[in-house]
Parts: sequence; C-alpha cells; structure tokens
Amino acid sequence: MLWLALHFHSLSLEVFSRGAAVPDPLAVVEKQGGRTWVIASNDAAEARGVRAGMAASAAQALADGLVLRRRDPEAERESLEGLAVWAGQFTPSVSLAPPAGLLLEISTCLSLHRGLPNLLRLARRGVAEMGYAATMACAPTSHGARLMAKAGVEKAIRGPARLESILAVLPLMLLDQPPAVLEGLERIGAQTLGDCLRLPRDGVARRFGQALVDELDRALGKVPEAHAFFEPPVSFERSLELPAPVHDAEALQFAVRRLLPELEGFLVLRQAGVQALELVCRHERRDHSVLKLGFARPTREASRMHLLLRETLGRTRLEAPVHTLVLRAPLVLPLSGSNSDLFRKGREADGDLLLERLRIRLGKEAVYGVETAADHRPERAWRPADGPKRTGRANPHRPLWLLPEPLSCRDGGLKLTSGPERIESGWWDGGDVARDYYVAEDRNGARLWVYCDRASGEWYVHGVFA
Amino acid sequence: MAYAELHCVSNFTFLRGASHPEELVERAHELGYAALAITDECSLAGVVRAHVAAKEVGLKLIVGSEIAFGDGQRVVLLATNRTGYGNLSALITKGRRSATKGRYALSLADLADGVPGCLALLLSDPQPSPEHAQTIAACFPGRAWLAAELFRAPDDAARLAAAAALARSAGLPLVAAGDVHMHVAERRPMQDVLTAIRLGVPVFDAGDALHPNGERHLRTPGDLAQLYPQPLLDETLAVAARCTFSLDELRYEYPAELVPPGVTAIAHLRALTEEGLLRRFPHGTPDTVRGQIEHELALIEELRYEPYFLTVHDIVRFARSRGILCQGRGSAANSAVCYALGITEVNPACMAMLFERFISRERNEPPDIDVDFEHERREEVIQYLYAKYGRDRAALAATVISYRPKSAMRDVGKALGFDLGQVDRLAKSVAWWDGRQVLPERLAEAGFDPANRKVALLIRLVDELVGFPRHLSQHVGGFVIARGQLSQLVPIENAAMPERTIIQWDKDDLDALGLLKIDVLALGMLSAIRRALDLVGARRGRPFAMRDVPSEDPAVYEMIGHADTVGVFQIESRAQMAMLPRMKPRRFYDLVIEVAIVRPGPIQGGMVHPYLRRREQKEPVTYPSEEVRGVLERTLGVPIFQEQVMQLAVVAAGFTPGEADHLRRSMAAWRRKGGLEAFERRLVEGMRERGYQEDFARQIFMQIQGFGEYGFPESHAASFALLVYVSAWLKCFEPAAFACALLNSQPMGFYAPAQIVQDARRHGVEVRPVDVLASEWDCTLEQGPGFRGQGSGLGGDERGARNGERHCEAPRDQAIRKTIPASAPALRLGLRMINGFSLEGAARLIAARAQQPFDSVDDLAVRSGLDPRDLKCLAAAGALARLAGHRRQAWWDVAGIERASPLAMARAEESQPDLFPLTEGQDLVADYASLGLSLGRHPLALLRDRLQRDRIVTAEALRRLPHGRLVRAAGLVINRQRPGTASGVTFLTLEDETGHVNVVVWRDLAERQRRELLGARLLAVYGTLERQGEVAHLIAGHLGDLTPLLGNLVTHSRDFH
Repeated sequence: MLWLALHFHSLSLEVFSRGAAVPDPLAVVEKQGGRTWVIASNDAAEARGVRAGMAASAAQALADGLVLRRRDPEAERESLEGLAVWAGQFTPSVSLAPPAGLLLEISTCLSLHRGLPNLLRLARRGVAEMGYAATMACAPTSHGARLMAKAGVEKAIRGPARLESILAVLPLMLLDQPPAVLEGLERIGAQTLGDCLRLPRDGVARRFGQALVDELDRALGKVPEAHAFFEPPVSFERSLELPAPVHDAEALQFAVRRLLPELEGFLVLRQAGVQALELVCRHERRDHSVLKLGFARPTREASRMHLLLRETLGRTRLEAPVHTLVLRAPLVLPLSGSNSDLFRKGREADGDLLLERLRIRLGKEAVYGVETAADHRPERAWRPADGPKRTGRANPHRPLWLLPEPLSCRDGGLKLTSGPERIESGWWDGGDVARDYYVAEDRNGARLWVYCDRASGEWYVHGVFA
Repeated sequence: MAYAELHCVSNFTFLRGASHPEELVERAHELGYAALAITDECSLAGVVRAHVAAKEVGLKLIVGSEIAFGDGQRVVLLATNRTGYGNLSALITKGRRSATKGRYALSLADLADGVPGCLALLLSDPQPSPEHAQTIAACFPGRAWLAAELFRAPDDAARLAAAAALARSAGLPLVAAGDVHMHVAERRPMQDVLTAIRLGVPVFDAGDALHPNGERHLRTPGDLAQLYPQPLLDETLAVAARCTFSLDELRYEYPAELVPPGVTAIAHLRALTEEGLLRRFPHGTPDTVRGQIEHELALIEELRYEPYFLTVHDIVRFARSRGILCQGRGSAANSAVCYALGITEVNPACMAMLFERFISRERNEPPDIDVDFEHERREEVIQYLYAKYGRDRAALAATVISYRPKSAMRDVGKALGFDLGQVDRLAKSVAWWDGRQVLPERLAEAGFDPANRKVALLIRLVDELVGFPRHLSQHVGGFVIARGQLSQLVPIENAAMPERTIIQWDKDDLDALGLLKIDVLALGMLSAIRRALDLVGARRGRPFAMRDVPSEDPAVYEMIGHADTVGVFQIESRAQMAMLPRMKPRRFYDLVIEVAIVRPGPIQGGMVHPYLRRREQKEPVTYPSEEVRGVLERTLGVPIFQEQVMQLAVVAAGFTPGEADHLRRSMAAWRRKGGLEAFERRLVEGMRERGYQEDFARQIFMQIQGFGEYGFPESHAASFALLVYVSAWLKCFEPAAFACALLNSQPMGFYAPAQIVQDARRHGVEVRPVDVLASEWDCTLEQGPGFRGQGSGLGGDERGARNGERHCEAPRDQAIRKTIPASAPALRLGLRMINGFSLEGAARLIAARAQQPFDSVDDLAVRSGLDPRDLKCLAAAGALARLAGHRRQAWWDVAGIERASPLAMARAEESQPDLFPLTEGQDLVADYASLGLSLGRHPLALLRDRLQRDRIVTAEALRRLPHGRLVRAAGLVINRQRPGTASGVTFLTLEDETGHVNVVVWRDLAERQRRELLGARLLAVYGTLERQGEVAHLIAGHLGDLTPLLGNLVTHSRDFH
C-alpha cells in the first residue's frame, strides 16, 4: 500500500477567498468562550499584523478594511468533497479526512500516471488551479502520511523503519486526540510522537487512553487501518461564493476556472462527458440568472470548456452583480454514447411555463408580481415580486392605482372631500417625506388622491381611486 | 385657547419616549399649556426631574402613569392627591414586582379597588370593547374618561365618532389627549430609531411599527383647536383641575423602632453618645470635645436629624457585633457625635473639624453619611437591613444607566442598518477617553466618511441619544428606609440581581425631594485592613484594632514620602506615587489633602501645581481677602475640597447657602446637561461687586467646572486619610501581615498579586510557595527564617531538598529593603492562589492533612478524595513538589490516579517514566499560568543578557541616571492608564526584575504605535528621562514590542480608565 495524503492547511480561508484573483485582507474567525478569535488569515492580512490567535476586535483595530468571516464548516466540508471528486481522476480509492485532508491510495495507479513524481506534479497543478494550497506526503500508512502532510514534511516514504524515525520527531499536537489528552501530554513534557513512544505503554494507556496508543500504532502500521472510501455523487453541481460581488462578466472567468478541474475529475471518474453546462449567477435581492453553454459534442476536458466559457462570458452583460456562482452539469453523457433520446428523458416539467415564456417574450421588467411592503410612504408601500408571494391587507384609504410619479397640480377646481392624512416618514434613506394627503374630486367627478408637500407647500396628484 | 396635556411619556419610558422630562416641561410651558401630566409607562422614574423643572418655570405638573394590560388595552392613571399618588405608586410596584427586571404585569383586576385618589383615562387605541369601557366606568365612578387621541390619520373623523359613541354607551365623558412621545416634531427620527432599537430591527424594516407621522409631540394650541372639538379641549382643564397633588407634599418619615418606648429620640441619642464617650475617653472627655458634642446635639435636635444618626449607629453596631470592619465618611460623619458613636475613627480632638462646616442650619441639607464595609461582607449588612425593616420598607436607590457614546453608537448603528462588523468598528471608534462627544475625526479614522449622508445621520442621532436613560440599575449601596410602606412613597421594582429590589428614583431625585438615603458601600481595603489587624493580633497574642495603631509615626511618613506605597489605600496609584515625593506628607492633615488633590477635579482646575509651589515655599501664600483666607488657609490659599468651592461662592460672590448647594448639584450634573453658564455670570459679577479681580473670579469658576463631578469633599477625604495612614502603618511595620491580607482580599486595589508579592519580597519578607503540606486556603504567616522549630514541617531547612522546589530568595536588588528582625514572620502562599482550585477541595485536603501528614501523592488523593480536576490544579501549581518532585512528575502521578481505581498497590508495579524537569523558563511560565506570579527569578532576569545587547537598562540603573538622558528600558506592562484629564496621554508602568519604570506616551506616538502600545506585554521603550527629584518618568520616543521573547508567558496588565 502506498498512501498519498493531501492536507489543505488554509481551507478555512480558501472557501471564502479562492474566487478572487487578488485577495483582500481576510481573516476567518470563530467564537470560543464568548469571544471571537482569528483562526486563520491570508497573506494580505498578515502583512498588516493580523495573526491567528488574535481577538477579532484586535485584528480589526490593526487592519482597516479587513474582512472578517465566520468559519463555515459546512463550506469546508463541501470544498473537501469537491476536492475528493476532483481526486477521483487519479484513483478510485479516495478517503475524506476532515476537516482538511484527503487520503489517496495510489499504489495501483502509479504506472497509469507515469510514476509518483508525475502524479504529484499533476495533483499540485490541479490544486493550484482550483485555488487551494496543500501539503502532500506519501507513506505506507494513511495516517502516517496524513501526519506528515499536516506537519508539512513533504516526503515520500516507502519503508516502515524510515516512517517511524520521521514520525518520531513530529509534534504530538497533530494527533486526533481530545484537547485534554494533548494538554496532559504537554504537562508531562512529551512534545513529539517519539517522546510518547518512549513512555511506558501501559502507563500511557492508563493516563491518556487506549485511543492514543491505538492511533500511534495505526500511524506506524502496527495495526491495520480501516477506510471508508468516498462515493462520488451522481450529478455535478458546485457553487463558489465570490469574496466580493462581481459586476463584469469577464471577471467571472477567473472564478469559473476554479471549478472546472473538479468537473473534469468528476467526468474522468464517471467515464463521461457533458454537452451542455449551466452557469448560475446568484444576485443580491433578485432572481438568479442562468448562462447556458452548449458544446458541439460531449467533452470532459477542462481546457476546452474554459475556451468556450471565455468566449461566452466575453459577450455577456450581467444584469446585476454576482455574489455566488454555480456550475451545473445538467446532463452527464457517456463520452462515446449516442445522445438523441437522452434529451427528451432528462427534460423536467416546468410549473411556471407560461410566466417563463411571457417573461422571455416581454422582458422581466414587464411581467412581475406585486407584494405589499411595510412602509408608511405610499410609493414604497409595495414592491415588485417574482410571483404572487405575499399578500398584505390593502389599505382602504388609499387608491389601488398610484401614478408612477406624483403629478404636480395647480388646478383650482379640485374639491377636497376628506383629509388630511399626515405622512411623515423615510428620513433614513434620503427619501424623507412630509405630506398631507386628501381625497379630492375633480370637475369630472373623478376621485383623486392628492397631497400637499409640507416643506414646499406644492400640491401633487398621487393616485386615482377606481 | 387653554389645554392641559394628560398623556405624555418621557424618555423614562425606555425606547419609546424621545424627549427628556425637562424638555417636555419647558416646551409645554412655552406653548402655554395649563398643565402637563408625565405618564411614563408603569413608571414614576422621570417625574422628579419633571417636577424640579416644572417648579423652575412655574408649570403645573401632574403625576401619572400609562398602564397597558396583558390584553393590550391601555389606561392612564393620574394622581389627584397624596393618597392617589401612594396608591398609584403601590400599583406600579405591584406590576413591576410581579415581572422580571424592566417589565411589568398588571391586569384589569388589579384596578378593581378603583385606585382611590386617582383618575383614569381609558385610551381609545386599541379600541376598547363596550364591556371594558363599562368596567372602567364602574371601577372609577365619576373619575374616568375616555381619551380621544387624533394624529391626522385618514379616518380621524370616523375615529372621533366611534369614540363618542363608545363614551356615550359607557357613560364616560370624552376628553382630548395627545399620546405625546416627544417635545417637538423634530424628534421624529429619534423616536423612529428608538422604536427600531426596541424591536431589534433596522429602521427601514420597522415598517408599520413606526408612527406614520410626527404628530405625537406637544402640539400648538392652534393645531389642537383644528383637530378637536372645543368641549374635548375644555375637558382637559377640568381633569387637570382635579389633580392637586405635588411631589412637594412627600415627607420622609424615619423608621420609628430605633427609639425605645418612653424616651425621646434626642434623649436616646444623647445616652448612646455618652456611653460612647466613656469608651473613647476613659479618663474623661476633653473640654473641647464636650463643647463640640453639646453644640452638635443641639443642632441635630433642632434639625430633627436624630433618627438618621440612630439608623446609621444601628447599622454600624450590627457590623461591629459581627466583626465586620466599617467606617463612616461624609459631611456628618466627621463629627464628635459620630466619633463617640463609633461611626468613625477620626478623632475630633486631633483635627479641628467644625461640625457646622458639614451640617448647616441654613442650607437645610440632609446630613450625609456613607458607611464603607469590608467588601466581602457588605452583603451581610444588606441582609440585616432587609431583615430588620422588611422588603416593603427598605430598598436600594436606583442608578439611571444612560446612553454613552459607545452604546449609542452601537444601537443607532444597528438601527440605521450598518452591518455588525461596521457597528463594531463604529463603537470602537469611540474611545473611552473621548468623553461624551462623537468626533467626526474618529469616525474618519475608522474608515467612515463623516460627510456621507448615513454617517452624518448617525452622528446627529448619536449626539441626541447620548444621555437618554436606558434602564435602571441598582445604586452601589444607597438604601432608602421608610417608616411605613415604602411603595406608598416611590415605586419599587426588581433589580437584575435576584432578591434585590430598587426604587425608581436615583440619588439626585432623592436629593431633590429631600429624602434620606443611607449609603452602605463596599470597600476592599477595609477587608484587607481587618485581615491584617487580625494577623497582627494573633501574632501579638491580643486583639489589635484600628485604634491601637500608633498615630503620627514619623517612619510611616518617611516611607510615604519615598512613594514606597504599593498596596497602601488610595496613594498606591501611579499618579499618587508621582505626587508623594513632592508633597512629602508629614502629618495626618497632609494625607487628607493628598487624597483629595490627585483627582481629576483639582487637576483640571489647575490647583495641583500652585499648591505644590506654595508648599515647597517657592511661591508666597496670599489671599485676595480676609474672608477668602478663612476658607482657604488650611490649604495654603488653593481650593482643593468641594466644600471650599461652595464656601467661596458664599463669602466671595454673595451666594446664599441654598444657592451654593444648588451650585453643587449643578456641578455634579453639568457634564451631562450643561447649564453652568447662569452660575458663571452670577459668580463673576458677584465677585466683581465685592472687589475681586475678574481674573480671580474666572479662575474660581474654572475650578468649579473642573470640580464638576469629580470634586472630592474634605469630609470624605478625612475618613479615607485615616485608612491611608493605617494601611501605610501596617505596610511599614507589619509588611508580611499586610501583604498576606492584601492577597487574601483579592481582587482589589491597583496591583495584581504578582506585584504585591514582588513588593513584599523587596521589603525583606520571605515568601514561601504553595505547598500541600503547609498551605491553608488563605495565605498565612509562618515562623520566619530565624526560627528552627519542630512541628508542622514548615521549617526552612527542608526547602530545596527535593527536586523542583523553587528558590525563595528575594530578588537581588534591594533598593528599599529594610532590616527585618530575625523573628519576622514569613508569608506562606495559600491554596486560593491556585488558578481553578476549589474551596471545597481545599477544605477536604486540609481536614485530611490535620489527621496525619501526607506521605505521597497517592496518600493525598486517597485520603482527601480530591477530584481529578483539583489534583491536576495542584500538580500544575507545583504544590505537590515535596511529595512528587517536579511538575511533570507530579502530573504523571495525578493523571494515573484519574483513570485507575485509587488502589495504590496496583500502580506500585507500574514502570516509572524518565521525565525531565522543566527548565527555569518553563517553570516560570507554569508559575504564571497557574498562580499568576512566580517566586523564581523575574522573567526579565532571564532575558537580561539578551536585553543588554540592545543596551536596555534596568529600572534600578534608571534611578541613578540624570535628567534629560536618552535611555532604553523594557519591562512587563503591568498598568496602562489613560486618564480623561490628561488630554490623550497614556501612562504605562513597566516592571522588570529591579522595580518599576513609569512611562509617558504622548498622543501622537500613541496613535502611530497603537499596536505596540495596546498589544505588547513585554515592551521596550526608547525615550528621554525626565527627572524631578525622586520622581522620574521616561518620555517615550519609540516603542518596541518584545512580547515574542516571553514565549507563552502569561502576564496581565490592569488597564484603567
């Protein structure tokens, strides 16, 4: 057996930052014991003195414009699974070693990849293309390799004796042991695995638990290891949160490229290709938009996909800034198979078909739903919505129909029939209004909703009663 | 058109009312209202302020309260007379007491008795049911109205009609009201913000919870006439006319039980005083004291203050009976009567105190006695008061917690929708030293553009919100005790602390109404002094009390003059230490001045340097007039005490004593509210008229301003000075007992245990490590090094015999070491010093040890039955050294006990590992981590070679260098201080193995090197030495963060505001 361990030492940062070409100062924080601490920071932040172990407030005081993100274990887990998908192209025996490790059994696939050095080179390149950084180590036991990778000892070891001598100098802190055990070991002055191995075995087990002794044995290959191999998903959909909203389609290229190696790994493992790709762009406060890409024939090469993406993005105008990007392979095809009947089978029924079609015909601005909004200002008391989602009670004192803009009115022929209703609100967004509203009748008997602006004394028509 | 507003909430209806009570009163007066009711929601917290303001402008104030029931229905109750007020107060108390802090719970059933003496306005929003209206009408026959409140809604007419119909059907008259939330419409944004804060949402998401317009302000009579039919407006006057109650009618009545039946209060007080005099002066009361007693008793009788003195005496007597050390201070405390009653120890025969200086006939100001108790035992005194008078008669005064710039910034920031990170940065942009103003520069530094609309809004709103009351908290110890039900006087509510209740008024409110409170305060130094006295008494074989401390010992003043005062009450701070070598106090009264002079008041008023110059005879002592000489002679012509400033206003500017008292109150409040300008005119003109130069007058006024909230009264300083003297005497003659007592009274004072121990060792006290074979829970005194006795195995000869025992010699430098007699006791650190070790574990350990000394860790574990956590604490502290050897071995031993059954036999066969002992540096780290101090070498001693290469000198060497020398020093940062008075200067205290270095960092350097200044634990300072006699400061030119050299050594700085 030969194991390759990859340790993604900056994963907690990269889940936030890998979508950007030039990273802003960023620190990932976690709450512990009532206070928020920095647990990782990127180079830009470190250049300003931010360090892991600092209080978040201290870090903020040091670096203006420092972006603080709360650690996102969910995103890390997803990233790790994405990486496992990608690693599937090297070997089908991939194990997750959370929170930030992958274990690859590679003894059987070395020749396929023309030897270990070449395999490592490919792996390194792939990791970098996806925007991650990893330390890598090879050893006859997966745990041994993992400890080496975590320690940054980037070596390939094949023999058990050599493994023991290398592991002996590694710090005990790398072990998967509860903090109390690690603290206890530190208290008796044991710092390295070797220090621990020199202690009386039964005494160690008694004080620090059998689990510690077992872990050491597994690392050294003295007892066999058990593995659960990663089951790749049947379909491909990966999202990438962008560190800052992107306004320009071309700038999305960089982020998309981060996702392509994963797709490639997925397709290699599945012996498949894609003929269509969907790039879903998520926007703030509005519906997401979808870019569809079609290939002339099924493909699985990241470079080809990238080419087409670049062309397409170059010609696209974004409707709104994008904060998250999702790459989706709606349909996976056997690379050599026929595709004619697959299309029909994969088509999903669309509930909002009519609406969808109207919108395509007339444009999104022309077809929308309406919902009420809690705001005293009439012009802000409603807003466009995707569909008839929320129904608020209509205000019986107001017309259903408001003019797009209040109409200045100097007509002396209006007769005020009720009022005033005084509305003073909205100082917070620069749209402060101070108006007295009246119901008025014009000469033709139409009932209008008019108001007097209290600042200027001018009169306006704002709506018409049905 | 005449109108009385009957429904108005102030900002004491927290997060609803958007104007101060004073603002509402002033505006109502301006608009010509006939009367204004302040009707805060289930609260009377704002009425005293309103009352004071209303009296000033001559507006009729009605006291009332708005009550919302569980079902949302609301009524306003208005007090017509004293009975009605008492019942309203009791009702509020009931509502508040049956809910958690800040809330209340009342139902219609609670009004079933009709709240006699109160009128009820049933509010029409939400629309009450006819049954509900009828119930109210029935409960308040002839005393209930339906209030119609119109705010220019689209359906005003319909609402009015509906209200009229309801009123008719229930038989209630209709009256107009305004549901006023603010004094002017311009407060609308603030009111919206308060709503948003209350709901915890940004203002733009608050939606319908916001009022649709700003109509809920005090409207002009013209506006009101447009809205309401005239009869409804007239009705307000009819309602107001029935409310004749004024807060002036409240009379405080002392508890009655302190005077035995058949005796008058003054006779009883006299009897107690005579009894006390016999104790104080067994050989006969000196004539001067006798004369003073007679004078004081006559004054007390005239002003009817006997019960007050009896109450304080009773509390003090209780404390004495429990062995709780206490001392009174304040205007009435330093009287011969209080001395006789045992309330203070300041001997009137030694100090020419004039009682009348403290209580004045003309001012009619209530006597003021604060009593300080040992901080750990004050609770016993409080429980005594509750037990004696009952919870319905005794409660704590409130402290109104108001918005400060930081909290205002946080809340307004959130309400305006700044995100959490921004709110944090905003709050942080307000440093505690910036005072109450929001500085646009600070916001700019934090990365916000002050010109930005949203940021400008923020600044405006924060400025407005600062000073708004936010909630009521408990006063540190001001008790109000009533003769009858306290809740008939003022509402009582629950405090945050369980089983604690507070009244709805604070100290100023009580003052304004002439109600008496007794301050029961906690003082850490009293705990330490009591402990030290006990230790000294135990060693001397007879009780040793404060009065047994010899007075005016020159050695004590000698020590104080060298600023050798770590641990001494009050004069241990850095600022005090810098002053002492210049002041060189020589007698008790010097200490009184010393206590008062190093305060922001005298410092800001610029009194310190003139006083010092005059004291050092560098400047002649002059007085602008004979009257002024009478006031200022004892302080060399410089006003230092609060009383002097007030007396100056009287003798030099022609203030009446009452006006001077008003001035004192305004002084305390001007920072919050401003408003000293009127006094300035009055004072300066008054002094000019009496022939004083304008310069002198302006200077006095500046001093008054400087005194502001910080002025220190002589009457308090005198009592404090006594504690200064006693603690200094203990430090001087009983350094081991003193250090021991300080350690056992932690946390308190200016210095951490590490510094206290360092200082004790510098004074030749042998300090011994925590040891399971010798330590008690507290630190203790043991036979000193000269003693070679048998017994409990504490002798010095065993030390160092075992692996891992640490050195116990004092540091090499002995700059201020005194010769300690061979019989001097040694200080044994107690188990309490061990971080995380439980008191219960200590009790078990000590009990087991008393039966038989431990012979091994196993023996200890088995017999004391300590849990693994406590055992590990002992190992980590090195307290097992004599049983197990070094820390690592000890840990191995106790860890083995955790998992196995405690059968020693099973483990005897275990093979022993070969563990290396910790290095000296590692041991030091472990000491600090577990004990917060080390008896080993100072960390800086370990780094000295490395520091020397950078030409960094020791604190010791610094003492010999001349003024103006460029030097480098380094040390652990043990104090950071940025006094509000020092315009952005930060003071640092660094500690190395030879002593302390005082560093001054000017503002611009502080801003440039903020990171080093605030972050470094080991700091190097390159700067210029500034020396004035014994006082030396290092003026920093550059800071270097050397913290990495410490490894993971933990040290703590105590940062002071």
